[in-house]
Amino acid sequence: MNVISRIIGRKATEDFAFTDAEFEKVGLALKKEIDGAFGRSLAIREVDSGSDNAAEIELVNLNTPHYDIERFGVSFVASPRHADAMIVTGAVTQNMKIAVEKTYEAMPAPKLVIAVGDDACTGGIYGNSYAVLGGADKVVPVDVKIPGNPPAPAEILRGLLALMKKIRTGKITAPSAGVHRMPPSKP
Amino acid sequence: MGMLNEIENIISGSEGGKLSAKIAESGGEVRIVPHGNKDFEELMRMLERNGFALMSLFCVQTSAKEFQLIYAFEKTGHPEIAVVHRRAGESASSVASLFPSACWYEREITDGFGMAFEGAFDGRRLFLHETYPDGFHPLLKSFENRRIECSRPTAEEYAFKKMEGEGVYHIPVGPVHAGIIEPGHFRFSVIGETIFNMEIRMFYKHRGIEKLAEGKTPEECIGIAESISGDESVANAVAFCMAAEKIGGIVIPERARRIRTILMELERIYSHLGDIAGMIIDVAYPAGASPFFVMREEALRLNAELTGSRFMKNYVCIGGVRKDVSTDSAAKISRWLKEFSARFDSAVKEILSFSMVVDRFEGTGIIRAGLIAPLHLTGPAARASSGEMDTRRDRPYAAYGSIPIRRMSMKEGDVMARFKMKAAEIGESARIIKACIGGMPEGPVRADAANARDGSAFSVVEAPRGQNVHWLCVKGGVMERYKARTASFCNWQSIEHAVIGNIVPDFPLINKSLNLSYAGTDL
Repeated sequence: MNVISRIIGRKATEDFAFTDAEFEKVGLALKKEIDGAFGRSLAIREVDSGSDNAAEIELVNLNTPHYDIERFGVSFVASPRHADAMIVTGAVTQNMKIAVEKTYEAMPAPKLVIAVGDDACTGGIYGNSYAVLGGADKVVPVDVKIPGNPPAPAEILRGLLALMKKIRTGKITAPSAGVHRMPPSKP
Repeated sequence: MGMLNEIENIISGSEGGKLSAKIAESGGEVRIVPHGNKDFEELMRMLERNGFALMSLFCVQTSAKEFQLIYAFEKTGHPEIAVVHRRAGESASSVASLFPSACWYEREITDGFGMAFEGAFDGRRLFLHETYPDGFHPLLKSFENRRIECSRPTAEEYAFKKMEGEGVYHIPVGPVHAGIIEPGHFRFSVIGETIFNMEIRMFYKHRGIEKLAEGKTPEECIGIAESISGDESVANAVAFCMAAEKIGGIVIPERARRIRTILMELERIYSHLGDIAGMIIDVAYPAGASPFFVMREEALRLNAELTGSRFMKNYVCIGGVRKDVSTDSAAKISRWLKEFSARFDSAVKEILSFSMVVDRFEGTGIIRAGLIAPLHLTGPAARASSGEMDTRRDRPYAAYGSIPIRRMSMKEGDVMARFKMKAAEIGESARIIKACIGGMPEGPVRADAANARDGSAFSVVEAPRGQNVHWLCVKGGVMERYKARTASFCNWQSIEHAVIGNIVPDFPLINKSLNLSYAGTDL
């Protein structure tokens, strides 16, 4: 079976009635960047530190048929031990502070952190509330911020692409920047 | 007989007519002020005996050391709300033995205001976890809202109920779970694989929403109401605005009522589609869930086209809605619904013909009808367990008064009943939307809401998960106190009962069949 017939040939699954050219384009670019940065794939652990739950719905959507983000080398994993990156949604509440810190600590290098949604980026509408500490960067070092109330799946994808580009071009130099944190390999 | 008359009869019929209280009715609220504590306690016993259900309980600070406790009740067959006002100082007697749903409210008041409840069966902290210092009570007016420093836990570790015995072991789960979901803690006590007891601990996402609203204008608080729970943002925005409109004497245009109704039903559709897909995922059948996820995505895109937001945020406003819905958009909704309904029905039929699904759904996670009143369960969870309450029909708002809402109820109370109930409600929502579009009058979509008035008011809506109750108090044009209680706050407590005797692997399925909002509970 040659490459062409693999692309245009009949699939075992049902046909999808939808395509989203823009999303596909960003997705393919992301796959390329992940290949460049990690060689293989990007594993993400999600932690909700106090969101209104809409960001969770959009993150779940990334795994549904319209988006199917695993095609682009991104998977959501069940444990921080398996994760390259952590997505934080929501302003960090006093009651979630320790859980966020522990999740971050449990992650192996490169320990990337992505803030998803306005509240995770800046603390959002919660301002000076007694119950929150502010955005995710009040608790853990954040590598990329994806604003929105909540950001749509395509926006999250673009944010991941920006993160991968930052890594490839060496723009992430904060202590959290994984690539710099890995022990130097001995020849 | 109206609620006012019924309560008058109850009071005069109390043992030897000993109960003394002032009663007045205005704006759908029957206000009762018992004279003394004895009168209050007798009134509580009488209300309980006569089938009144506690729908909300909260505290308002009236002066440095004086408080007012407000108890809201409803009774099947009455659209009015009975509101009992009770003066209190640093302590008050608990009503949790009469109304078990009062337990969380009283703990919430203790945390917020430092008020102690005598005779309460549970005095543990609720939304203030160990990290908060002792003596900190954020809802007191003497505390000016600001970021506070919390060091390592100062308070004692949270005491879970002790479950001991031969072969009993414990599984602590959360707050961070394995999937992409909200945080909460579940403490299972298990014998073999069977759940013997389960205790939930919530409020990890406590963001201080009620305090946050204080001092802001009602207009500024709509975004706060929307962020109570992202997937109930329309329901909460509508509830908030309805209360503000009631206070301000604002009558919204008929077209705005219709549009609000359409949005609320679209919210129910996408929310239930997510629940249905989630239940199928949790019986390990992702391919079966795909059609429902596809339909939910279509609904979210329709939301965005209609309002500019996939979750329809920033669209509802005091006086109506911010923007009109064009004829084209309305036609698009109609076309989508027509095509969607057939596809949805056939997908449901296919799922329910699959023995693996049926086997896991049937008889799992039963919520007994007897729990509905004591825990004040509402929404599809209650309607799947013989409950019949539906705010849209019992206390019509928006355009629901002009559209007949079908009475739906099932007896089984298991995961299957909740699945079927949510599926049936999607069909009903589609019908309501079609009726709204069909009879849509021309005209403005926003009434003038400029002349602000002071006052307080309740509002009640039927969110996808059940009854949400909001209470606003406006003083000097700004929020003096805001209390919101979502269906999840009450319904969460049913899961502790639903899981007993089930196996641990069925817990995620039972949880998903209720799909309660953590954000909407923790506030």
